Amino acid sequence: MIFKIFKKELKDTVRDRRTMLMMLVIPLLLFPVLINIVLGVSTSYADSAESKVLKIGVIGDTSDYLVQKLAQIPESFGPKKIIAYYGDSLKLQNDQKDEKLDLILWYDSRLETQLEAQEKSWIIWAFDKTNLGYADRAKSYTQIIETTERFKRYEALNIDEQKLIPFDVIYENTASDQQMLGELAGGFLPYIFIAFGFMGCMYPAIDLFTGEKERGTIETLLTTPVHRWKILVGKMLVVVLSGLMASFSALIGLFFSIQFLDMIPDPTLVSVITGMLTPSFIVKLFFLLLPLTVFFAGIMVPISVYTKTFKEAQSIIAPMNILVILPAMIGLFPGVELNIATACVPILNIVLTTKSLIAGNIDYFLLTITFLIMLIMAGTAVFISFRQFGKETNILN
Amino acid sequence: MIKIENLFKEFPLNKEQKKERNTSDKFASAAEDVSFNCNPGEVFSLLGPNGAGKTTILRMLSTVIQPSSGSIEICGIDAIKYPREARKKIGFLTGSTGLYARLSAHEIIDYFASLYNVPQALLKERKSYLFDLLGMNDFANKRIGKLSTGMKQKVSICRTMIHDPDVVIFDEPTSGLDVITAESIIQLIRDCRDQNKTVLFSSHIMGEVDLLCDRLAIIHQGKLKHHGTMEDFRAQMTGKSLTGEFINIVQS
Repeated sequence: MIFKIFKKELKDTVRDRRTMLMMLVIPLLLFPVLINIVLGVSTSYADSAESKVLKIGVIGDTSDYLVQKLAQIPESFGPKKIIAYYGDSLKLQNDQKDEKLDLILWYDSRLETQLEAQEKSWIIWAFDKTNLGYADRAKSYTQIIETTERFKRYEALNIDEQKLIPFDVIYENTASDQQMLGELAGGFLPYIFIAFGFMGCMYPAIDLFTGEKERGTIETLLTTPVHRWKILVGKMLVVVLSGLMASFSALIGLFFSIQFLDMIPDPTLVSVITGMLTPSFIVKLFFLLLPLTVFFAGIMVPISVYTKTFKEAQSIIAPMNILVILPAMIGLFPGVELNIATACVPILNIVLTTKSLIAGNIDYFLLTITFLIMLIMAGTAVFISFRQFGKETNILN
Repeated sequence: MIKIENLFKEFPLNKEQKKERNTSDKFASAAEDVSFNCNPGEVFSLLGPNGAGKTTILRMLSTVIQPSSGSIEICGIDAIKYPREARKKIGFLTGSTGLYARLSAHEIIDYFASLYNVPQALLKERKSYLFDLLGMNDFANKRIGKLSTGMKQKVSICRTMIHDPDVVIFDEPTSGLDVITAESIIQLIRDCRDQNKTVLFSSHIMGEVDLLCDRLAIIHQGKLKHHGTMEDFRAQMTGKSLTGEFINIVQS
């Protein structure tokens, strides 16, 4: 009987465009579309910043030593146009205010003499830091001129530059690529499936309970000789399945983006991510997601049963998203690790367990605690749902 | 048959409801000491103005809600103790059409038949009979959301009757329907009586009651104001019309 109800509710849900949009289409397409847009926009900004001809205002003359050195820097380091103000600092400042200049180069008027005398001089770059690439361009120009001048001094002082380096330092990372991935992306992944799992459960939960109350179909169903708990379980299974579908669709979308959208330039990391998707990982993830989604469904069903309109249910359930996301965000903080205490905190334990699963250093004892805690939470939520669904004041409008 | 005795139903009032009703009472009474019985081969009408408590009584009969006290017997089954057994005997048409907009008539009928464990052969036979009787063949494969009110009500009635129940309860079955559709439903109610089924329907259309009813009960503010045969009702009429008599009873 439960299967009959599940089958019908699933058919009904699948035909609901809004639910399908939230359950499959958005989770599946969100990451490829979002990443594509972000990558496209950032690449185009970076390209335009690199190819932009920067107008550099200098207070001195074009024949000044530093200005000449700047002019000699090849175009491959970024095109530029130098505008000399011949000491007219007022005009230079006004042009800067009017955004006629991108960079301003101030320098000591005695710079050439100071360099010849092997004394320390100064230069100042002034720019608007909110403009992408200006700071990098100034640094790169300075580095070229500064390196040339430094080597000139080594030569003049007859110093072997190598002798100035006491030792070479190599910082070696002993963590495997998989562990690094666990640390960097481990918190992010569960955050995604928690958010989407919640979203995926929301619409079917409201539709199958509050919606049916509004449409009067729940009363019809209750007149059939089917146990009330079987009706509840049949409907809840659809809510859970919908949440799972949304979570997995989001993950599929994300992995698709990584694989095909050049999101990660390092091919080793890409192969680690691809290699991570073993059947064992997916099964473990499923067993973590299952009680989590049942828990979500268990939270939403009593609310949906209690509320009288779709709008009312939505206005209560939607803000709960923040309550769910909050413990998930704690899991993103560095240093928060899976231990007996954190394994007992619902949602946070899922985030930390997934992190460990991805990093490949899962403690099976803590995994079991996480699973049991989520199972208890899910069971409690289902029990509350059952109690609420049994109240006649709740089920009829 | 249906037999109800000393039926009481109280609903708890929340703060808002107390404010709306301007009362400090914790409970509101929807049915007070209601007793009547409906026999097989008989059409029984439950009459009353809006908010009289008709739907509450019908919901108790269909076991969707439980009475605060009293007894309900459906075909000899104690419906309070064994609600699932009683529900197998009942076909209940709720006040709203109560249909799934994204399913077709065929799908809905099949679904409800499966919930009543109707065997495939019987389902085929019942579907054919009811679809023909209600003229549903033309729109049976269309989704409910695309059907008119009359078509929806026909599907709803078909859903109510698919498991061939001994007791049929209709809550205002012709409400909001055109004359032709209403007539086909009235014909179906007559058929049910001829098939020796127990038919209970609530209405506030006196013409319909006059046309169909063998016995009637008038309810107002949860209390039974009149209970008897249609013949007795006509005989004791002091007013010119049935509607006038109904108003007299309710206002007495």
